[in-house]
Amino acid sequence: MTDPGAATHERRILGTELLWAFGVGVLVAAVLGLIVFTALTMNINPPSNVEHIDPKTLHLSGEFAEQNLGTTVGADGGVTVRVIATQFMFVPRCVAVPQGRLVTLRFASPDVVHGLLITGTNVNTMVVPGFVSQVYTTFTRTGDLLMPCHEYCGLGHSDMWANVQVLPDNDFKPDRDGRVSCAQR
Amino acid sequence: MIGADQPSAADAPSEVADNVDEAALAQVMRVVPLGAAVLAGTTVALLVIGYLAIYLLIFLPRGAVG
Repeated sequence: MTDPGAATHERRILGTELLWAFGVGVLVAAVLGLIVFTALTMNINPPSNVEHIDPKTLHLSGEFAEQNLGTTVGADGGVTVRVIATQFMFVPRCVAVPQGRLVTLRFASPDVVHGLLITGTNVNTMVVPGFVSQVYTTFTRTGDLLMPCHEYCGLGHSDMWANVQVLPDNDFKPDRDGRVSCAQR
Repeated sequence: MIGADQPSAADAPSEVADNVDEAALAQVMRVVPLGAAVLAGTTVALLVIGYLAIYLLIFLPRGAVG
């Protein structure tokens, strides 16, 4: 015969578990809702560009040829930064970007897998040979930001870093070719 | 079958079930679900507060990315 006291305990535990499951369900839905809401209203998304490039020839011609690296302002005013991540440096080692404007950052690797982040921003991506990594962001503060490689790429990995120089918009002046270099200090 | 020369498990105190006072057990079982919920709730609440603090105070102010 079943002990009525034990049955009551079982019911109470089951009730608590169901309540807990409901609460956790609400919490998970709220967190997912927050992520979707900010993605839709504030344009915060994981970088998801998929674009192929031949790592053997990317430095010879096309957008990652030496003369095209660095910061370029297009005819429409769009700012694009192109950087090659290679063992064990970023080329160029310093890029200038404007404060408060949308900047498109494009990276490619001719050798091994690299990764990068820009301190104080949400920029964080892998750079995989064969693909162009593209991240867009808006820099909110002026100053020099560090951009280290964060994916172990060989013995010189710890020396692989670059600077991102965020300039006030009125100091960000492209030359005749639409190029902007780091200010010399 | 246990022979006369073999000890019974009941001879070892650790093998013998405790005498349980049903009333005391019922008293404990009444608060066990509440205690578990408070403990787990506090733990998860701290985790969520930490997550939201980083998300709202650090991640979002860093601006758009994609």
